[in-house]
Amino acid sequence: MNHEKKIPLIRLAKRDGMEGWKVWCIRCGSILFALLLGALVMGLAGANPVTAYGTMISGALGKKSAIRQTVKIAVPLLGCALAIAPCFKMRFWNIGAEGQITAGAIAASYFALFWANRLPSPVLLLVMGLAGALAGGLWALIPAFFKAKWNTNETLFTLMMNYIIIGVVRWLQGGPWEGRKGSQIIPQFDEAACLPRVLGVHCGWIIVLVLVVFMHIYMNHTKHGYEIAVIGDSINTARYAGMNVGRVMMRTMFLSGAISGIVGFIVASGANNTLYDGVAGGVGFTSITVAWLSQLNAFAMVGISGLLAVLSKGAETLQTRMAVPTSISDIITGILLFCMLGCEFFINYKLIFRGAGRKEARHG
Amino acid sequence: MKKFLALLLSMILVLSLTACGGGGGEDSKPADESKPADTQPPADSGSEPAEGKTVKVGLICIGDENDQGYTYNFIRGKEAATEALAAKGITVEWVTKWNIGEDSGCEDANIELADEGCDLIINNSFGFEPFMLKVAPDYPEIEFIACTNQASWGDSLDNTHNAFANIYEGRYLAGIVAGMKLQQMIDDGEISADQAVIGYVGAFSFAEVISGFTSYFLGARSVCPSVTMKVQFVGSWSDATEEANAASALADMGCVMISQHSDNTTPATTAQSKGVFHTGYNNDMISVAPEASLIGTRINWAPYFEYAIESVANGESFDQDWCHGMDMDAVVMTDLNEAIAAPGTAEKLAEVEDKLRTGDLQVFDTSTFTIEGKALESAFALDTDGDFTPDSEEAVFDGAFHESYFQSAPYFALSIDGIEWLNSAF
Repeated sequence: MNHEKKIPLIRLAKRDGMEGWKVWCIRCGSILFALLLGALVMGLAGANPVTAYGTMISGALGKKSAIRQTVKIAVPLLGCALAIAPCFKMRFWNIGAEGQITAGAIAASYFALFWANRLPSPVLLLVMGLAGALAGGLWALIPAFFKAKWNTNETLFTLMMNYIIIGVVRWLQGGPWEGRKGSQIIPQFDEAACLPRVLGVHCGWIIVLVLVVFMHIYMNHTKHGYEIAVIGDSINTARYAGMNVGRVMMRTMFLSGAISGIVGFIVASGANNTLYDGVAGGVGFTSITVAWLSQLNAFAMVGISGLLAVLSKGAETLQTRMAVPTSISDIITGILLFCMLGCEFFINYKLIFRGAGRKEARHG
Repeated sequence: MKKFLALLLSMILVLSLTACGGGGGEDSKPADESKPADTQPPADSGSEPAEGKTVKVGLICIGDENDQGYTYNFIRGKEAATEALAAKGITVEWVTKWNIGEDSGCEDANIELADEGCDLIINNSFGFEPFMLKVAPDYPEIEFIACTNQASWGDSLDNTHNAFANIYEGRYLAGIVAGMKLQQMIDDGEISADQAVIGYVGAFSFAEVISGFTSYFLGARSVCPSVTMKVQFVGSWSDATEEANAASALADMGCVMISQHSDNTTPATTAQSKGVFHTGYNNDMISVAPEASLIGTRINWAPYFEYAIESVANGESFDQDWCHGMDMDAVVMTDLNEAIAAPGTAEKLAEVEDKLRTGDLQVFDTSTFTIEGKALESAFALDTDGDFTPDSEEAVFDGAFHESYFQSAPYFALSIDGIEWLNSAF
């Protein structure tokens, strides 16, 4: 009796080597579970869940114009997830993508606003993209440098950097770059500084798809990618193998920031055609979920960012057609992400119930 | 293994359930999409005469109605217009988008409403216009309105519109209420003549704000000649804490009357706690500050909405740039707080309001103010070359600066004597 009391009701045990089909069953099951929970929320909000889900899907994918908008939402999510993937692989918690996007957007906007009549459009766009990459990379390099030199906490550092650069945009909006006095609005870019459209969406989608391939190769088939993986597994092993950990960290963060900076350029030049303080709009944070759900696999990110974009666009249509507040859709998105991330737990661990444990022991 | 099988089975069950669900969703889709196609669904006209018309109107809001200020004021206009149009046999089907940002999300909202079959799409915030203008050319059969902005007279599109109200008339009247109170305090010996100082909490040094506080000041000075004013900009359209801080700082500087061009009621409550008086904007603030708030003024969007929607219903074109004031009740005063207002205020208000309606009185009468000691003789109204400095159309004629005359959006952005700008950084 005494002995039995000490055993907790549920115990956890690590498990590995679960068969692939079981893993996918659990993943699909978790999505279904999330959809059912979401249906409950919608029911409570007074909407028919079946119609609501149908509306979300038709709203996001039902029309050409809807698909275009969905793609437009997915582009920065995908780009930014690609950017933070190498950092996370290295276990360097870069949550400053928001700021790196903004830094890139500022640099790109500078050329859009002041060089539009001096350069031909393709050159201008190239310069904007390069400037964005450089600015994003440098902004990311600062916390990496401090981490490498003095082992500062990169989570706090990168987070704080976000607020600084967003403050800079606010200053530009109300100060030197302001259009109409007092409006706090930077004028729309000249046509030459806007990304051209391909199939109805700004061509940022092509840029991020190229980046997908680049990132896949970089992470899996290069020496840099290998170094990142080793550092992520064990810094001491990396040191023992003679890697310069600090240098790899700074190099990886620069690359990460540069890609975020390109995303900033895409959003400012392609989507908004202007710069404002919400240019990153939470993408830097949401993309962490995208990267994590995809388990840092570049190709999986295409699917996951697409899924999130469908949910986000669907939520807007849900509000338009059924007057369901967007906050309800946000709750449903949250539930879905939570379940999808949570199911990984059940893939990696098994639960052992008190009774079951005894039975197993007896069998044994 | 048995347990796993059970799990699998239950999943299959759930899957089949949702599969059926998916089918249901598709069934309802065509019904949704067919709706916009019929502009006269029989279901809606049941309560109306057979010739009743239905207009589907999209409204894109920067906030939601809980702000009790800017967006709430639009919703009030929307409801009043719906009622008035129902009496004329026009049914309005509203589709409202809340909390839309001034970015490409606004472009998406316009596209979405257009795709939903709206006949008219109203954008309620100044910063929405550039994004609306990206969508408007693709939908020439749909009318687009950007409230408070100004591009329509200059863009080459026929389906874009701007609208605003002569809110400076309401400001002028609120200024008269404030000025009479100050004069009463001087006459009673509570303050000396040079202590009649107004503190104004402004959002930004934006023409709309400058025009508003100048007309307010001119109203006050018309009944209290010794009055002066200090303006504190807070750098936000809506920041309850900063607005309270600004009001508090102004009261500490000796301002005995507070007014505001910002979204929250905190300047009113701060005025009350500091023992000074207040006049409000957008909403009646007497309920939150009964001992301080004298009166408020707000734009009444109902007449414009009614006009625009009725035009669309009848297939007529309507003004691309609309601006009216007291003449069409587009500007209204909230209730006067008779308990604390100076005696005779209501009568004076009625008298001046009448003069404004008939046009006998010009708010920006150039004989009533000076700029750096000189009377204003010339000022341009419109910016035609896009450099954000007015360069066209003389606004000063017939002895007055004509505000909102050449375009609906205010363009009085001059600093007149008697008003001190404490910070023009914003």
